[in-house]
Order: sequence, then C-alpha cells, then structure tokens
Amino acid sequence: MARVNDWYSRLLSLPETLSASPALAIGLTFGAFFAGNAVFRRIGRPLWLPPVVLSAVLLAAVVALLGMDYKAYQQGAHWLTVLLGPATVALGIPLYQQMHHIRALWRPILVTLPIAATLAAVYALVIAWSLGATPEVLASLAPKSVTAPIAIGITQQLGGSVPLMMGGLLITGVVATLFVDLAARWLAISDDRILGFALGLNGHAVGTARAFEISPTAGAFASLGMGLTGVFTALILPLVFHL
Amino acid sequence: MLRGFLVLVLFFLLGEALQKVFLIPVSGGVLGMMLMTLTLMFKGGISDDLASASQGLISVLVLLIMPGVVGVFFTADQFAGQWLAVAAALLGGTFLSVLSTLWLMSRVVRLGGGKGE
Repeated sequence: MARVNDWYSRLLSLPETLSASPALAIGLTFGAFFAGNAVFRRIGRPLWLPPVVLSAVLLAAVVALLGMDYKAYQQGAHWLTVLLGPATVALGIPLYQQMHHIRALWRPILVTLPIAATLAAVYALVIAWSLGATPEVLASLAPKSVTAPIAIGITQQLGGSVPLMMGGLLITGVVATLFVDLAARWLAISDDRILGFALGLNGHAVGTARAFEISPTAGAFASLGMGLTGVFTALILPLVFHL
Repeated sequence: MLRGFLVLVLFFLLGEALQKVFLIPVSGGVLGMMLMTLTLMFKGGISDDLASASQGLISVLVLLIMPGVVGVFFTADQFAGQWLAVAAALLGGTFLSVLSTLWLMSRVVRLGGGKGE
C-alpha cells in the first residue's frame, strides 16, 4: 500500500521531474502544433481562427493543467526558439526565387514601405496612448507588425514586456490576415503582389504563411514586406519612440 | 536537406557576428536573410538541398514562435486595466494600417511604377 502511494506521489511530480530536460517542453509544443492543425482542418479552416491560435491555446491549457512552471517550459522550448534565426535566413530563398517580380515593382515598394511601416506602428501607438496605456504597454505594442525575432530585440530596447508583445504580435498577425482579405474585396485589389506585400508588412510571419497559401508570388512579396518592415522598424522605432 | 540546413545556420551565424561586431540594430537573422538573397543573386542558382531545407523551416515557422506566444496567457494579470487600450490599438491600428498599405501601394502601382504586367 505504501509503495502504491510512493508511485502515485512520484507520478504527480513527473511534470516537474521531466521538465529538467527540454524534451517535455519540445514534445508538448510539437503535439500542440499538430493538434492545432488537426482541429483547424476538422472545423473547416476558418480564416478568423488560424491554427497558431488553436495551438497556442491548447499548449497553454496543457502546461497549466500539468502544473508546469511557465519559466521551466520556456527554458525547454528555448531549443525551438533558437531555430527562428535560421528560419529567418531561409526566407531569403523565396525572396531570391521571386526576384524578377520584385525588380519589376521596386519603385512602388520603395515608396510604400517607409510610409506603411511607420503607420503600422503609429496608428497603434496613438490609439493606445489616447486610451491611457502605460509607457511599458506602448513599448510592447510598437513593434506589433514586426517579425518575432526582430520584435523581441526592439521591445527589449524600448523597455516593453516580451510576452505582451508576443501576444500583440499574434493578434496583429491574425487580424491583419482577416483585414487584408476584407479590404482586398472592398478596394477590388486582386494583384497577388500587392496582397502579399500588405500581408507581410502588417501581419509578419502569420500574414506570410497566409500569403504562401494564396500563391508563391504573394508569399515572396510577403517575405519581402516582412523583411523590409523588420529592418526599417528596427532602425526607425528607437528614434521615433523617444520623441 | 541537412547540408542546406548547415548553410542556413552558417548565414545566421555570419549575420549574428556582423550584428555583434558592428552593433547593427537589426537582428542577425535578418542580416543573414539579406546576405543569403545577395549571395544567391551573385551565384545565380540554388541547390536542391538548400531549397528543401528552407521550405521545411518556413513550413514550421508557426511552431517556432509558439513558445513565445504562449507566454501571454501566463503574464495576463500584469496588465489588468490596460486591456481596452491594447485591444483597441491592435484591432483599430491594424485595420487602419492594412487599409493604408493596400490603398497606397495599389495607387503607386497604377501610377506607372509597375511595369510587371
């Protein structure tokens, strides 16, 4: 009887014991990723509820149910986050493959980028500021359209909260994807290059993933929009923010 | 595939090195991406290894950002009272900026910048 109790208590402390190695966090993340995708297909691929949201909610629920410390999870999952760097480099390849399209449109891109990337940050800052957001919240919202690896650097530089920024990033990606689809219909825009660019510029990786569903051309323009917005915002925002 | 992955990691490290040495305010990944595109333009071609490695990584991009995303559920109470401002900024701000981008770019393309089609 005493032995069964021992087993039971060790079973209960398993999440804690196992989170000493990153395998548990990585396994949970993979599991939630595939489960989120499966649920997404099962409920008919709704545009307003992309797999990343489903997966993140699932993952948060499982981590909480296991009584796992979020810090411990984060430490294990750091192994996945490391791959974000090479994955960002990988975006250079579709960029190269679509270079002929980009060459043909370099002028509109050069005109649109600085204005649109600045507006993406300024609209949100003005709205949040007028509703009384604290400086920390403003610093977390400012890079909301920037791809995650760059946005983390910007938020830390501005003194914001990285988890809040990541949440804002995700919501921005999702709603940008929705709004681009809506606005394309209103404004009667069907040029994959423009749609892709708007998706990448406003919706970073989430928008880019959506753009690759539209067409490889849209995907390449999204990668371009995301990359250029990241670079531009990283250079400009620290200057603008302190005004 | 692994060979291609090695190339990606090398370019990332190169980008990180440049960023650290010259204190460039852009992440190593983005510098690596720019270097990668430039190198391919010079070389004028791409190996199957590199193409499949990059496709593989791009298709799991969402998986890689998930650990960061989940954090918002665990720090939520830290920002009690700010949620209206945050939600309005994210929804309203994104709506306006999507409209601006689409309108502006289609305007400029129509004005004769785009000779692509």
